[in-house]
Amino acid sequence: MADQVVEKKAARSLSLDGWAVAIALLLAALVRLGVLKHVGW
Amino acid sequence: MASSTAVLRAEPIQLPKRLLAILPGIGLLTIVGLAGKVLEKSINTYSKAHHLVFPNIEYVLWAILIGLLISNTIGVAEVFKPGIATYEFWLKTGIVLLGARFLLADVLKLGAVSLTLVLIELILSIGFMTLLGRIFGLSPKLTTLLAVGSSICGVSAIIATKGAIEADDEDASFAIAAILALGALALFTFPPIGHWLGMNDRVYGLWAGTGVDNTAEAVAAGALYSDAAAKIAVLAKTTRNAMIGFVVLGYALYWAARDGRQAVGNKAAFLWQKFPKFVLGFLLISLLASLSIFNKDQVNSLANLSRWAFLLTFAGVGLRINFKEMKKQGIRPFIVGALGEVVIAAITLGLVLGASKIVKM
Repeated sequence: MADQVVEKKAARSLSLDGWAVAIALLLAALVRLGVLKHVGW
Repeated sequence: MASSTAVLRAEPIQLPKRLLAILPGIGLLTIVGLAGKVLEKSINTYSKAHHLVFPNIEYVLWAILIGLLISNTIGVAEVFKPGIATYEFWLKTGIVLLGARFLLADVLKLGAVSLTLVLIELILSIGFMTLLGRIFGLSPKLTTLLAVGSSICGVSAIIATKGAIEADDEDASFAIAAILALGALALFTFPPIGHWLGMNDRVYGLWAGTGVDNTAEAVAAGALYSDAAAKIAVLAKTTRNAMIGFVVLGYALYWAARDGRQAVGNKAAFLWQKFPKFVLGFLLISLLASLSIFNKDQVNSLANLSRWAFLLTFAGVGLRINFKEMKKQGIRPFIVGALGEVVIAAITLGLVLGASKIVKM
């Protein structure tokens, strides 16, 4: 049981990083291609 | 705490259902973050219009305080919890996007300074926390978790180490609660100390990145000082995070030998598994920016997207802190953590001030 929990945690932390990088790269590509322009703050 | 609970509940359900489940929480993060931003702007406008001298309180602090207030008064309803747990996703996305504001040469230069400081800090803080754990009679595995949590990167390091050394859920909860409580405390102590010592943005950012445990709190502690300090805090903290695999591997080997279990087989695969992959994303964006793939306006857009991601993160930092839950974990791990943190903060402060005299910052 403990092992399963550890496995689930490891799998999720890996995919979380993957998702974060993928979304960030997608946003960077949209900015580079001019789809997202002048994002304000 | 919230993140570990959410992790345990993560079932292989369909993506549309998962997205639907996180929407209310993301909505709450957005509202809390925006409320912090509106409050900062309104107070500034009001004090300027009425010629009042009022200290500028950044949206970061307002967002955290509003989150804390909600979490510790009316509480956070179950429907919001999966979405609030996404604060870590926003944090990592924000860090990767922030890479656009760094030239790779800067990353390597500051990264080298950070790495040297981080290595010294790791040895001193792990040694000191281990000693404190023994003095206070904490279980050896809880002591290990507290040492890893306070020396590297808070909750992620504790979760990674827990699996590697086969520690109890209870020990992990204790360590996570202590690290989160102390991280919250750092938000209110680091910026005034930095101002009191007259630290510049780079030196303070380096201190926040090496001294504050959890990544979200380290970035927030930097942002509370200044935008430039947050940038350096992110870099220093990312360097620290990159060390996670080595420390977890060291402890895994130690505990395997001590418990008479089979040691880690493929060490390179183990290191890769524990390595925080978002660091690679950060370096990639930084490389693209160094190659002038983005023009100035595009770099500004990416930096602003990173700020929006951090806005949600800071709201999540406040919303996940529940003092009542932390109280349930008992006082001893907290005392050990607190004593350790004060000493680690002092050590890192000394290291950073020393380094700033040697390396021009």
